[in-house]
Amino acid sequence: MHNVVIVGGGPAGLSAALAVAAAGAPVLLIDSNSRLGGQYWRNSVDELENQNEQHFDLATGLLLINAVKARKEIEVWSEAQIWSATNDEGKNTLRVIHQGKSKIVNTANLILCTGAYDRTLPFPGWDIPGVMTPGGVQSLLKGHGVLAGKRVVVAGTGPFLLPVAAGVIKAGGEVVSLVEANKSRRWVSSFIVILENLSKIKEAFYYIKTISQGKVRGQFGQAVIAAHAADNGELESVDIAKIDRNFKVKKVKNIKCDVAAIGWGFTPDTSLAGSLGCQQVVAKDECVVVWVDSNQQTNIPGIFAAGEITGIGGSDLSMAEGVIAGIAAAKFVGCKVEVLKAHRKRRAKRQRFANALIKAYPIKVGWQLWPNDQTTICRCEEVSLGDLKFSVEELGATDSRTAKLFTRCGMGLCQGRICGRSVVDLVAKELNVLPTDIDRISAVNRPIITPISLGVLAQGE
Amino acid sequence: MKNPDAIVIGAGVVGACTALSLSNAGLRVLVIDRGPVASGTTGAGEGNILVSDKEPSPELTLAIRSRDAWFEIDTDIGGGFELEAKGGVVVSRSTKGVSDLKKLASLQKENGVETIELNASTLQEAEPFISKDVNYGVLYPGDAQCQPMLAAAQIIRAVKKRGGNFIQGENVIKINSNAGSIVGLTTDKNTYSTPIIINATGTWAGEVAKLANSYLPIMPRRGYILVTSPAPKLINHKVYDADYVANVASGEADLQSSAVIEGTASGTILIGASRERVGFKNDLNIAILRQLARQAISLFPVLTNIQLLRAYRGFRPYAPDHLPVIGEDANVSGLWHAAGHEGAGIGLAPATGELITAQITGNAPFMDPAPFSPKRFKGGEHVAV
Amino acid sequence: MSQFEIQFTFDDKTISAVSGQSVGAALLAANQRSLRKTRFNKDKRGIFCGIGVCFDCLVVIDGITNQRACIIEAKPGMKVQTQDGSNA
Repeated sequence: MHNVVIVGGGPAGLSAALAVAAAGAPVLLIDSNSRLGGQYWRNSVDELENQNEQHFDLATGLLLINAVKARKEIEVWSEAQIWSATNDEGKNTLRVIHQGKSKIVNTANLILCTGAYDRTLPFPGWDIPGVMTPGGVQSLLKGHGVLAGKRVVVAGTGPFLLPVAAGVIKAGGEVVSLVEANKSRRWVSSFIVILENLSKIKEAFYYIKTISQGKVRGQFGQAVIAAHAADNGELESVDIAKIDRNFKVKKVKNIKCDVAAIGWGFTPDTSLAGSLGCQQVVAKDECVVVWVDSNQQTNIPGIFAAGEITGIGGSDLSMAEGVIAGIAAAKFVGCKVEVLKAHRKRRAKRQRFANALIKAYPIKVGWQLWPNDQTTICRCEEVSLGDLKFSVEELGATDSRTAKLFTRCGMGLCQGRICGRSVVDLVAKELNVLPTDIDRISAVNRPIITPISLGVLAQGE
Repeated sequence: MKNPDAIVIGAGVVGACTALSLSNAGLRVLVIDRGPVASGTTGAGEGNILVSDKEPSPELTLAIRSRDAWFEIDTDIGGGFELEAKGGVVVSRSTKGVSDLKKLASLQKENGVETIELNASTLQEAEPFISKDVNYGVLYPGDAQCQPMLAAAQIIRAVKKRGGNFIQGENVIKINSNAGSIVGLTTDKNTYSTPIIINATGTWAGEVAKLANSYLPIMPRRGYILVTSPAPKLINHKVYDADYVANVASGEADLQSSAVIEGTASGTILIGASRERVGFKNDLNIAILRQLARQAISLFPVLTNIQLLRAYRGFRPYAPDHLPVIGEDANVSGLWHAAGHEGAGIGLAPATGELITAQITGNAPFMDPAPFSPKRFKGGEHVAV
Repeated sequence: MSQFEIQFTFDDKTISAVSGQSVGAALLAANQRSLRKTRFNKDKRGIFCGIGVCFDCLVVIDGITNQRACIIEAKPGMKVQTQDGSNA
């Protein structure tokens, strides 16, 4: 029996690891953070009582984390970054930097659970220190015990804004404004789904209670469309606009704050899957995701994928997918296990909830009018919207890939993770066309997955 | 564009420079590419404009004129492609290497290349971070750098402003001739009439020659470039190991590599250079990346803590005798080839364009183009010209 | 797991951190929102994504550039500096 290698220690990866171990096969779990839990279950200590009740679901997280640590079949590599991954006729070669040491992992059986990160939209001033993502504010709080600021604006779209706002309040900060771009009535059409997922509603009410105790009223149909700096170059205030259903600006007001946590859903990180040659497709929310069959297997036999990289859907869906991927991978290496109907039913139910979320929190094209020609689009390389327009109008770029090569957009340290999706949309808008799937998928092509020092590269094998 | 005076197939740097040269001579030029500007080898180029890497030869004469022509183009079209006269430093650490380099530099000097010999101390002044065990180098103030994608794009932009046009996304499927002379070509979308066609399709020039029932033995030679994350300014010139020159002239199929390192206007450091004959194989070969990293660190130990951000590869077009092909087809009159520059395409592009234009317009070319003539491949054999 | 205080320097200041905290978190707790200046426009940048994806929170740590403050754990005696451009 071979080792199953799992990449990612969040809800999907932890669930998959336990499923494989339960089936009797040894597991290597590779995670880039210093503590297991991924983004969703960020934590700083091992016992629940010592955490602030900032995350309703953390109990489940700690349960899984401790279970993984307890199983001798599961070897965990923490602080391990995969910088290159190639698939050559059934053999996967992963090059890893594990706590500063260069290592190679060869395996025929892989489960990819590399998760997602906050999706951001560019607007004037979004690069001012003090403007952050909800995930960043959450990570600082749950992972490091630091409240990002005293007067916090929480904005964007999606249910994730609620726990972030609640967390700030519980930690003693003031949420000076909580604005959701989409209107609440979008949920009405998903009534059945809500009934199916009552625990989610309970969770939402938990946050809402905390927020109203903080004397904050969430406002709908509004968005942060600009940020302004004080003389010292740091965040001083934001412009919050009433927006119509297409995100076009109607009325604007200015709010003073020292932190703005702004997020627009999530973007899956499929770099590893793409590097291995797994087929990627564009989902309904325009995310590039890894294609999988009903057993969570990608188009490459032996490579499975679970969690946000197969489609944004939250931690519950990630766990359900992780279990199926783990069982299927264990079966692939010869264990006598089967994916049960119950597993599939649970995944289907959670998928329905995820689909309802996507319908309830769309991102409309009106955002493309928020940036002006001076707005930075590629933060790493300081490329403005005006530079992008020049590459289309004057240099003749007819797709986002060429615009990127002319402007260096997406060529900086983050390799397009932050700006990539926005560049595809903005270039298509300049050309008066719709972005194609090829545009979107080529924007996530990253053969070198994370920067690696030349010295470490030179020393390795 | 109806009935252009000339069609250039290929919107890479050679096609762009040729189109500019013809436009400046008064022709209405149509450029056609099956993809965007610089979507072939030009987009994977480092941006080298060198006079340092050639022995006295027709190619050196071409390189010297071409380097100056780049600065004229910069002025002519208003810049916009990060052209920089940064100079090159060639070094060697072996006794034989140093002696060969001295000889080469002295011959180049006699042929019009400015060279300045550097000893251990002046080398350290020129490149403070170079490894302390390098004791000899030659500075070539003439070596220059540009951003090749922007160069091709800005030149095509100028061509369009001067009465020319650029069509993207059409694939040439047939080159049409009548009684041994060009009458036009057919793409997957249109047919165009013209008496003059320039084949500037680089690594694919052989395939395009076939479309005219002609023959060009151009093959790909793969190369990788490492790109670092933005770094402090550690390297002042293009710096390379003298072995680089030998590799270019080598015929070996196996991996050839030697250190070529420089900074860029955007702050990244580019590290090359490797040469392999693996057809159009597209994989990312970690062993090669590792070799390039080792060579670079050996020359500049300070690079140890600089991060590799991305790596890309391109396919250099080359002919069996390692000389570019510049001139009229052996069989079909009106069909001109401008291809096969093997890793020197960017540097040699302007002078290539000038040679083509001179021969088409009947003006005196700045040098005898015979050594580059496609007629040397007449009948599929290598015939001495 | 017990938590104790450690110290490191940021430019000319001494910064306290709780063991396990990232450099970025400790700096933010000490009201230090700007971590670097960009290399072309010299704009100030600080923590943006907070999870190591955006590479905006770059600082120089013990002489090495391009270190992400939000994911690197603060260690006693670390010498952290503002990254000015690429530290040219």
